[in-house]
This record gives sequence, structure tokens and C-alpha cells, in this order.
Amino acid sequence: MSQDSDWEPKLLGFCCRWCSYAGADLAGTSRQKYPANIRIIRIPCSGRIDPLFILKALRLGFDGVLVSGCHPGDCHYQTGNYRARRKMAITKKFLEYIGVEPERVQASWVSASEGGKFTQVVSEVTEDLRKIGPNRLFEDGE
Amino acid sequence: MENKELEQKLRQEAGALLEQGKVDYIVGYEAGSLKFSTTPLITRDRDEVSRLVINPFIVNNLANFLTGLEGKVGIVVKGCDSRSIVSLIQDNKVSRDNVVILGVPCPGLIDLGKIEKLLGKERDELDDVVREGDRVVVTAGGESSEFSPAQVLFDSCLGCELPTPQEYDLLLGEATAPLKEKTASQAKIAELKDMTPGERWEFWKGEFSNCIRCYACRNVCPACFCNRCFVEESSPQWVQPAPRWQDNLLFQAVRNIHVAGRCTDCGACERACPVNIPLRSLSREMYDIVGELFQFKPGMDKDADPLMTHYEQEEAEDLIR
Repeated sequence: MSQDSDWEPKLLGFCCRWCSYAGADLAGTSRQKYPANIRIIRIPCSGRIDPLFILKALRLGFDGVLVSGCHPGDCHYQTGNYRARRKMAITKKFLEYIGVEPERVQASWVSASEGGKFTQVVSEVTEDLRKIGPNRLFEDGE
Repeated sequence: MENKELEQKLRQEAGALLEQGKVDYIVGYEAGSLKFSTTPLITRDRDEVSRLVINPFIVNNLANFLTGLEGKVGIVVKGCDSRSIVSLIQDNKVSRDNVVILGVPCPGLIDLGKIEKLLGKERDELDDVVREGDRVVVTAGGESSEFSPAQVLFDSCLGCELPTPQEYDLLLGEATAPLKEKTASQAKIAELKDMTPGERWEFWKGEFSNCIRCYACRNVCPACFCNRCFVEESSPQWVQPAPRWQDNLLFQAVRNIHVAGRCTDCGACERACPVNIPLRSLSREMYDIVGELFQFKPGMDKDADPLMTHYEQEEAEDLIR
């Protein structure tokens, strides 16, 4: 389709306000360039993520979802990221089973001092999405 | 022990519990309006316990009613239901002190749909369906046919890991061993896993095009105990009320993720589905995912932490960048 030639992946990021969101800020203030494909929603902790948010984002047409939180051991609330990790693990496995490409749902640990890692993760995830193409999962098909 | 004897014993015990004031309610099964069918019986009346039945058609998971009843409850459970109660105890939804568990060893529930298909007859044409040891004997129009459990039990029962309740106050009848027909129990899942992701999505898309979003699956599920389900939220509106396949599938996918670690693979959702969506092929896979990733078996140990409140320092790291 002609629309596809200038298609750009749309990535939704859920970033923990204590680390990854600050990491994204640092990337910006350090004048690093990361793909503008990501739209970030700040969440109070990666543990706040509800798999519902991920499914809803895909349902709304986002090509991929990235959930990013503090490294294990660094959670501001002690254990939020460990809970996020369990949720993300089962969500990824389950969505893969029902037929969602694994690249569409990703998770990362990015600390407030890792502006570079944030840039790298967003670039890699965007590339992954570019490879698998637009999210047509919830399209009617006719 | 014969079902009739079991029933007598159950009625006696249930009656005594009510009489002695040890429970406020008895939750069990009574005969339903359709042939062979059963329906839940919830009563505080001593005389009504004579309606209690035990047979291979007690398909509901009665643990579902525990979260809605106040006071002490005497409840009839099969192996899978007892696991659901344990899971509710783990989640602090039910206090162990408030339930008197009347355990019934369950050699497996009979799927009348399978018998109808095998014999090419409607359920009303069947005269009797009984379990005799490791055979199921069906009589219809004077003729009797024998089937193996693997042919006529529900898929969930074929792979059942705990046919005899582990958590109980009183066990009626003798313990029964698991059938261990795991392959037959998960044939559909194996078939799906052989497909490409795209084919799997198409499969579920097709199935959920039939879904009328009656929420029967959610309503019969003891693990679905939220006071307010996300599907009924209107601000934000997570799913559209109209039953389109997109929202139907989103609902069921999220439901399965939300009950991960609570779902004991009892199969009540699939049995309740009026349009026969193979829901257990979703829930059983989730059951195996939590087992594989976190070595977690839902509803086995009432003192264990629930899946989602527990963590290990190092686990599942390979899934994260």
C-alpha cells in the first residue's frame, strides 16, 4: 500500500518516574538523539503497569509497547520492579502464545543516569518494529 | 463408594453442620432442570440438604460463591474447587476459619457433549450415564455402550493433577488417582503451538467473533473476584460494550493475565461458554507459563504467597533488555 512507504512505527513507552523517565530526560538534556517514534507516558513505578494498558495500546493501533523501570534492587518502593518483571514475563509469553509478535511488547531497565541506554533501547525497539511492520492485529481485515 | 451412598453421607453431614450451628450456609449441588444437569444449591434450611447430589455432572466450581457469602459456609468441593479455595485463602479473600470444606474425590466430570457426538444422540435420548470403575457406561434406547474416561470426560479433567481435595475438613469417599491424560487434555494447545503466530491470531480472531460477551466465563470463575471489572469501567472505557471480536479478545486475554496464578485449570469457564470457545486453551497455557517461569502451582499451599506478590531476586531476566 502507498501509505506503507512512509509508515513510521508508533511506540508507546511507559516509563517509571524515578528512573527511566529521568533517563529519557537525561538523554534529551545531553542532546542525544533518539527516535521520535516513542510517545512516553510517565507512571509512578514500573509496578504500576497493568497488562491491560499494553493490550489497550495495541488495540488502539500502537505498533509496540515498551515498559521501562529501575534495575533490580533499585526500586524506589523496594519491590515494584520485581512485580513488574513477573507481570511483563507472563504477559509477553501469553501474548506470544495467542499470536502477538514478541517484538511488540518489550521491557527494559534504564536508570536515571543511563541516558545513553535509553537512547539505545528506544532505537533498538523502533528498529525491531520497523522490521515486523505495522500492527494490523486488531484490524478487521476486509 | 457409590454416588448414592456418598449423597446420603453428605446430606447427613451437611444437615448436622447446620443443626449444630457450625455453619450458616451449605453450598452444594442439586439436580438441575435439564436431564443429568446439576445446579448450585445454597441453603440455610436443614430440610433442603436432602436435595444435595453428587454425580459426574457437578460442573460448577462452587468456590465462586465463597466471596459473596457472609458467615460460615459449609461447601462441597472437588479437587479443582479445593484448589480454588486455597487460592482465595492465599489472596485473603476467604478465611480458612470461615469455611468447612466437604471434600469429594472426583474421578472426572462427564462431558455430555462428547457422548452426544460419539453416539449421534441428543442428551434427552440418553437413559443413563454412569461411571463404573475405569469405564463410562451409557444406556440409550435399551442399548448400552461403554467408553473409556479419555473419550468422554472433560479435557480439563483428563489432565487433572488433584482429583482428591488436599485441603478439607471432611473427606467423603475414598481418594482417587489422577488420570494423567495430559496429552489428550492439551491436544488443542499442541495444535495451536504448531501454527505460526499469525495463524494463531487468526484462530482466536475467529473464535472471538462468536463471543457474545455474556461474561459467563468471568462470572463462574472463582479467581475473577474483583468488585468492579475493568470491562465495566466507563472512564476510561477500556472496552466498547458492543461485542466485537477485537474487544472480546482483549477482554479474554486481559482476564487470563489478571487471573494468572489463581487459575487452577478447573475448566469452569469453558463449560460455561454458550458458544463453545475453547477457553481452556488460553487458561491452561497460562497455568503452564506460570509453572515454567516461576515454578508456581496455583492453589496448592494455603500458606504460600500469591504469585504476583512474591518475587525472587533473579528470575525472568532474559525477557528484559
